Amino acid sequence: MFGSERSVVEEWLSEFKSLPETHIPSYAGSLHLKKSLVPALYRVIQDPNNELLEPVCHQLFELYRSSEDRLRRFTLQFLPELVWVYLRITASRDRQSNGCIEALLLGIYNLEIVDKDGNSRLLSFTIPSLSKPSIYHEPSSLGSMVLTEGALCQHDQIRVLYSGLHPQRETFTAQNRFEVLCFLMLCYNAAVVYMPLSSYQSVCRMSSRLCVCGFPRQQQKLWREPCNRVLLDPEFMVQMLTAVYHAIYNGEWEMGREALEDIVYRAQLELYSQPLLLGNAMKSSLPESAPDDPRGRKVLQVEVTPTVSRISISAITTASIRRHRWKREDTDGMSGGEDSFNINDPDEGFSSGASNSSQPSGTKAGGGGGVGLRGSSLSSSSSSIKKAITARLSRDREKVREREREADRKPELLTDHQPAESRPPQRQQSPPSSINLEAIHLSPIKKHLSFPVGPALVRTGSTSSSKSFDCMTFNLNGGEDEQEEAARGEDKERGISVGGSHRHSTISLQEEHLVRPEEAQELLPAGAPLTKQSRSPSFNMQIISQV
Amino acid sequence: MTTRKSGSRLETEIERCRSEGQWDKIPELVRQLSAKLISNDDLGELLLGECKLQAYLKENPIKQGSSPRGPRLKLVEVRKHLTAALDRGNLKPDYLQEASLLMAKLCYVEAEFREALGHYGRVNLDEMQLAGAPVYRLSMIAEAYATKGLCLEKVPAGSPSLSNKNSGSPSSSRSTTDREQEIITCYEKSGDIALLYLQEAEKALSAGIQNRSPKPGPTTQEQELGYFLETGLQRAHVIHFKNGNLTQGVGRFREILRAVETRTTQNLRMTIARQLAEILLRGMCEQSYWSPLEDPPAVSPLDDPTRQGHIYIKNYSLSRSPRLYSGENLFCPQENTEEALLLLLISESMANRDAVLSRIPEHNNDRIISLQSASVVYDLLTIALGRRGQYEMLSECLERAMKFAFEEFHLWYQLALSLMAAGKSARAVKVLKECIRLKPDDPTIPLLAVKLCIGPLHWLDEGEMFAKMVIDMGEKAAEFRAKGYMAIGLVYSLKATDASLRSSQEEYQRKALGAFQRAQSLSPTDHLAAFYLALQLAVSRQIPEALGYVRQALQLQGDDVHSLHLLALLLSAQKHYHDALNIIEMALSEYPENFNLLYTKVKLEAMCRGPEEALLTCKHMLQIWKSFYNLTNPSDSGRGSSLLDRAIADRRQLNAMTLPDFSDPETGRQQVFLLIWDFLLSVTLNFHSGKTDALKSEVYIGMSKPAEAAACTQEAANLFPTSHNVLYMRGQIAELKGNIEEAKRWYEEALSINPTHVKTMQRLGLILHQLQRYSLSEKVLRDAVQVNSTAHDVWNSLGEVLQAQGNAAAATECFLTALELEASSPILPFTIIPRAL
Repeated sequence: MFGSERSVVEEWLSEFKSLPETHIPSYAGSLHLKKSLVPALYRVIQDPNNELLEPVCHQLFELYRSSEDRLRRFTLQFLPELVWVYLRITASRDRQSNGCIEALLLGIYNLEIVDKDGNSRLLSFTIPSLSKPSIYHEPSSLGSMVLTEGALCQHDQIRVLYSGLHPQRETFTAQNRFEVLCFLMLCYNAAVVYMPLSSYQSVCRMSSRLCVCGFPRQQQKLWREPCNRVLLDPEFMVQMLTAVYHAIYNGEWEMGREALEDIVYRAQLELYSQPLLLGNAMKSSLPESAPDDPRGRKVLQVEVTPTVSRISISAITTASIRRHRWKREDTDGMSGGEDSFNINDPDEGFSSGASNSSQPSGTKAGGGGGVGLRGSSLSSSSSSIKKAITARLSRDREKVREREREADRKPELLTDHQPAESRPPQRQQSPPSSINLEAIHLSPIKKHLSFPVGPALVRTGSTSSSKSFDCMTFNLNGGEDEQEEAARGEDKERGISVGGSHRHSTISLQEEHLVRPEEAQELLPAGAPLTKQSRSPSFNMQIISQV
Repeated sequence: MTTRKSGSRLETEIERCRSEGQWDKIPELVRQLSAKLISNDDLGELLLGECKLQAYLKENPIKQGSSPRGPRLKLVEVRKHLTAALDRGNLKPDYLQEASLLMAKLCYVEAEFREALGHYGRVNLDEMQLAGAPVYRLSMIAEAYATKGLCLEKVPAGSPSLSNKNSGSPSSSRSTTDREQEIITCYEKSGDIALLYLQEAEKALSAGIQNRSPKPGPTTQEQELGYFLETGLQRAHVIHFKNGNLTQGVGRFREILRAVETRTTQNLRMTIARQLAEILLRGMCEQSYWSPLEDPPAVSPLDDPTRQGHIYIKNYSLSRSPRLYSGENLFCPQENTEEALLLLLISESMANRDAVLSRIPEHNNDRIISLQSASVVYDLLTIALGRRGQYEMLSECLERAMKFAFEEFHLWYQLALSLMAAGKSARAVKVLKECIRLKPDDPTIPLLAVKLCIGPLHWLDEGEMFAKMVIDMGEKAAEFRAKGYMAIGLVYSLKATDASLRSSQEEYQRKALGAFQRAQSLSPTDHLAAFYLALQLAVSRQIPEALGYVRQALQLQGDDVHSLHLLALLLSAQKHYHDALNIIEMALSEYPENFNLLYTKVKLEAMCRGPEEALLTCKHMLQIWKSFYNLTNPSDSGRGSSLLDRAIADRRQLNAMTLPDFSDPETGRQQVFLLIWDFLLSVTLNFHSGKTDALKSEVYIGMSKPAEAAACTQEAANLFPTSHNVLYMRGQIAELKGNIEEAKRWYEEALSINPTHVKTMQRLGLILHQLQRYSLSEKVLRDAVQVNSTAHDVWNSLGEVLQAQGNAAAATECFLTALELEASSPILPFTIIPRAL
């Protein structure tokens, strides 16, 4: 460390100490003008034997404690470097020289986990749901989603806690190390836009080094300082990826991409699915070329995009299949009241407003156009849940129909096994009975109910809001019908094979856990306990009400 | 247009054709028109000029990014028509304006930018009525603004621009900033009016169809926007981003997206939604975010600081704006991930809908294009959901992509990883199989599959198959080769634990040891390789060798919890109980809430310091257990909350404890719960028996208060009535009370649930011995030894039975074996340490 750097740091140390409270805002505004200060501070942090390290850490903490955002961000820019130095020294088992950095990291952590009033800070966000209107869309114009459990869960926008309830920490232990570091990186990422370029370089350097040190790839790097492997936590790697992703697009294209490669390399070696998943996505969505200016930002390249779809109209797409199906049904004379259920064909996941408008709606034959669109939007806003359910039910309407035809051919056989199938066809035309029909034969939801130990129920329990589940139950029971109830019971007894054999989804993965009950058992420990503890009473009730 | 006259069918028809862009019908209509009234000649000229210009543009469309090509022969005629319409001055003011706008457009097409601006100067664009105007006129005004913007961009700032706004002021004094401001305003107005036009056009079209014919006619036909409207809609934000003015660009994107979509804007909306999401994910963070309904911050780090002079202020308002999405309880994002997610979900639904499904060669290009655009959306969705830990939802999204992902490795792999991250292990393995088929050279994929197979799934045969794939890759697997050997070693090691026959047990142990040795030699700096080798040696009771490798592992990774635990158990096997306890306490200072360590600590404390201290540790464990479950009570957290995930992950770690006592495939909570009951019970038993030797006290009991233990067990039994552990405990209590017959019944029941529970077998053997049913006792104990050949107390019991039968030689053998095993027996089985990749 050169004498000049030393004096810069010493001056900085003494200046802030003598600063009166009133001067702090102007001081915060002028801090970034001290050009040589930041590199000098990096030098201090990188050298564990520097006697200035302790006062520097102390002062960085003082800055972080101030109410001035700019001062907090000044400290925050060194976080990646501090984390790197801390983890490297921890891996080398040389604990004593690490003390003040540990203290600084824990200090920031303890400040950040509480809000102004000293309550535990809860970070949450809402998962938007396409079935709720937003400032950017109307549910009807996108169509409803398949009524999977997942879709049901998403029916209500769900507020998710992604960080919170962190206890105060006085010391680092191997057990809490990454809990603290993850949270610190989360704070860094929440302010990443305000960080200077030098901090982006530091975060890329930290990520690369943490991921390769002690591994064969380190030999290919310029940085070859011998170092033990540093244990990493998958969630921490996800946070590193988030920071690196930002650096890539905001001036550190080359270093950022190298860091991304190194994180993916390490995630592969550790067989960590989460960072691998994100890293792959980041790699595959990278633009092909570097920004023109190597330090330039490349957040977005925009060009005028043609508004006409580049896809030729004759190509088969989800939308075209739907159009085709409507046409066919129309000519078949199948458009009765039943067709009104077909507004959103959920086989395809989503249906579009565009297709909607070209679809001859059942109620207003030949109406079409924007009117059809408006009409459906009206009905959907009034009861989007019901609509989604109907959509789901209509999904297998085709199959129902197929089976009806089958039933015509060999009625005696099907009467034996599936009384519900042999009901008069005119009953099936009416909406409520079509709901019943669906309830009898295919809903995986019911299957989960009949399978209290199955993984699906577990998943539902841990994920869905019970409200939407209630809705489902209600709708399935909508047309109270003794016969139907009986049939449902029977279906339940015959269980999986019947339902499973009649499902032809595009990917039959869905069935895996239905046809392998023993596997389901083994899957259980993952999510079960929580469910059992928190949900079981209400779920049992629902099961009972189903039976 | 206020002057529209009703009654004239012809005029209505003309208006409709103009609105719908049916230019080929115009000449015929004009012929009919001129037959009616003389004064309509000028209108006829206007219409003919317009339709010929439009026809020309349709045949020779202007491409984005290219300049107009100057005068063309075909356009001479257009100019003639329009000049005629303008010169005579007989036109109504509305039509006169239209003629001027068309003239300006023509000038632009002929690259006469100044002349075009001159025409715009004469028509006051800002004063043209938007309310009540016919649909075609909206389009015309939108195009005019766009064209004006284009012209302004072409004409250098210093030169006179005859804009109506400042037509009198000396143009030379204007700065470039003003000019830029004017250009952007033109484009933004153009875009707003274009959106309004499209909404109105769609409304008119559907209304028209209803009135005229029952059949949906040209509805399905896609309406093309044309160069000018496309430019008007998009050029403003392109300029914002070029100037590094992200704040304004984001604002403009949001304005466009908030307008109610039309069929024509769908593609644009999809692109813009994706681009806005990209900005939110790549260029914004939580602290720099502002909600779409808030004003943007005055100074934003988003904007390029070097271009501070280019701040654009939106300062216009139109008399009529495009319709926005409205209604009650409209969801408005409050956070950047929220907004990004909403936008991506909208893009996803569109991308998903437009994905080409057919695989015929003619559609190959289309298919690739649609796949790429969908793929980008899914990647962004992965980034947005992944950073919030929402893997469950992500896996559901990716699953929707599967219908067009045939043979697309990236999407399959991402689905597999998301399933894995969401804890859907069984399906993840199925998808990973497909990934292996698509990319057989990548060693990571089978290794991921092994990880799941030996972890949550316990599919050892499948795991063996995947691990062999990696090994078969040989040198190609590079750094993953050692991992491959480690994986197969773990499979064999777990198979050995599961095996019921001693011979196959030993065979698997031998194979496992070989694999671990190979892994360790391939990757000497990997602490896991050294650790698993040590663990396997320990299981085979090669204690000194195991100690050597565990020390090596600890040198490589000083605070690895499993290595420390193994070291403690190895020390306990050498009967260095105090050293073992020291190691455990050291490990606990790093992992204060690790149940496995605490369990071992209880046993060691009971051994070294007496049951009182052990009981204290037990209570501590119960407290941790309680706080753990209170903390993760899911009532307040939603679906797939990452906190929840973390809790589940922690629990998985607990489940991974393969205690021989708790190997039944029941829920993790039950395991932990029973674990604690077991401690409590055994410690209570020890406590009351007053004996310090925990191992012996578990067998020989002189307990004074069996009632307490019975109450504990009863509670456990209520919770888990079919657990063999509970039945085993009940048997023990019955024994304490002296009810030998009852105890026997409990033990038999326990064995009917888990026939290989060694502890129960041993107790049953002893009871049968007491009942003097020696041969049956011998049979049960021999079975127990078959299951676990290292259980020294079973050997001991067997020896006693054989002795009672008078078979002294065999009994001696057994006692010797028991002694030998006891000498290397750890305080808890080594297999308590989880084995996972």
